[in-house]
Amino acid sequence: MTISLFQAFLVGVIYYLGFVGTPWLMNLGAMSVIQKPLVAGVLVGIVLGDPVQGAIIGAAVQMPFIAYIFAGGAQPNDPGLAGTLGVALALAAGLDPAQAVAISVPISLVGTIINVIRMTANVGVVHAIDRAAEQGNMRKAVFLHIVPPQVICFVLCVVPVTLGCYFGVDAVAAIIATLKGRPLYTLEVIGGILPALGIAMNLRTLDRPGTLIWFVLGFVITAYLGLSAMPVAIIGFVIAFFYVNLETRFPETSQVAVGRTASAIDAATASDDSDDDFE
Amino acid sequence: MSEDIEQATSVTPAPNEPQTLTKHDLNWAWFKWVTFFNCNINYERLTSSAMLTAYSQIPDKIYPNNKAKKIEFMKRQLEFFNTEPHFGSIIIGLTLSMEEERAKNDAVTPEAITSVKTGLMGPFAGVGDTLWQGTITPILLAICMPVVSSGNPFGALLYAVLIMTAMLSISHFMFFTGYRSGKQGVESMMKSGILSRVISIATIMGAIVLGCLTCNYVTATSSLEIAVGEGTISLQSTLDSILIGIVPLSVTLLSWYLLKIKNMSATKVLVILALIGFVLGITGLFGGAA
Repeated sequence: MTISLFQAFLVGVIYYLGFVGTPWLMNLGAMSVIQKPLVAGVLVGIVLGDPVQGAIIGAAVQMPFIAYIFAGGAQPNDPGLAGTLGVALALAAGLDPAQAVAISVPISLVGTIINVIRMTANVGVVHAIDRAAEQGNMRKAVFLHIVPPQVICFVLCVVPVTLGCYFGVDAVAAIIATLKGRPLYTLEVIGGILPALGIAMNLRTLDRPGTLIWFVLGFVITAYLGLSAMPVAIIGFVIAFFYVNLETRFPETSQVAVGRTASAIDAATASDDSDDDFE
Repeated sequence: MSEDIEQATSVTPAPNEPQTLTKHDLNWAWFKWVTFFNCNINYERLTSSAMLTAYSQIPDKIYPNNKAKKIEFMKRQLEFFNTEPHFGSIIIGLTLSMEEERAKNDAVTPEAITSVKTGLMGPFAGVGDTLWQGTITPILLAICMPVVSSGNPFGALLYAVLIMTAMLSISHFMFFTGYRSGKQGVESMMKSGILSRVISIATIMGAIVLGCLTCNYVTATSSLEIAVGEGTISLQSTLDSILIGIVPLSVTLLSWYLLKIKNMSATKVLVILALIGFVLGITGLFGGAA
């Protein structure tokens, strides 16, 4: 499959629409919807004319980023780039899902540069907003908040992705061709275990005594009962609901529960530390 | 977007008395907050100008024809601010009610408003990001992922509808809760333990679902067969007889250990996982038939 320049541009636009802070589908529609490789994969598939394969690749690429948390402006990696450029290259080069994961993860690490440039450039905008505030010019302040950062963001997002899609396919296809056999299997093994990182990062945020015990329970009931996520989520809710209710009912343990409000808040402030991970 | 700006800044012909904010003003402020939240995210003050944008029509209502007050109001919103946009919208509602009160009564000082803002933004960011990005999003993704990976693109649409409905309802509810219950209300809500119970339930449920995800999506399968006498022993079935999925589970627990206990950066852990994968793959212990 080849990617035309126009298709490459559209993939770039999908990336832009999913970038943190684009307002077209509200902040949520960008960060929690378009940015997810699960959704971006389908959209890229539609652009390249194969939504079904796009969905399959997108769902696989989603996995390492399942627990992606963007907090305090710090970005551990960029699932948006993995879900657009990564999926487009994988589709065009005819990769299978595990190979797609293995090429998408490095792409997502490179992608963090874009947000760093953007957040630095926006410092200039906030100073311009200060000047507008000095004059009491609300119209100008709102304009500055919305329009110039979007222009910056659009250029920063669309240009690299367009070029990457347009020129990257041959490179990816060539690399995959030279890796036939054992090296390719190795790539698949790496792609298979990388999702563990996303899950572990998520587990770390769920800061509560005994988190690992619940985690292992979820693992074992899935492994041995073969349940999918929906029933496990429902079972999980029922167990959690009764457990927490019982915990708060008994005076000794309710002390612990009250203490936890404070610790939840501590954890909340402490979680800022984890933002520095990737710097 | 230009329409937004026009509406946002349209000046109501006003008498000099502060007007009461209407339901429309509040909804509009909330909408601008959730829409333009991260637009101008920057390293110096993160999302402060989003707060100003959300309140853009407010000064003309509460300080009609008072330019000095308006300038003061605008500058106050531009101080460093960052929180989570959905659970944290309680702060936007709360601050708005305090600003409205201040326009009528000087007893509410600018310092009080700022300290409420900065005091609450951290806790609600932590709680909010854990619940939104760390719990609700992975659970909904986990539910929709099998549909999409079976080649059905509509699973992505289902996910989009579920997450948008859930988070926007929460955000709208939190905004109005903050506006109505005021400073005391929000503080007593934080002390009452309701919030901590919700977090506890979500955390346990989240951990269980993550276990399910590990089982379904972290993969390491061996096709290695060792010839022993007459027959062969398959490495995979030996591992399965101990515990199904023992390798994915161990790898995930190892990553958790390195991150949480050893305080390693995620990039380091990524490199370690890639090396483990490389060794397991290149030696032929794991991966497709050699």
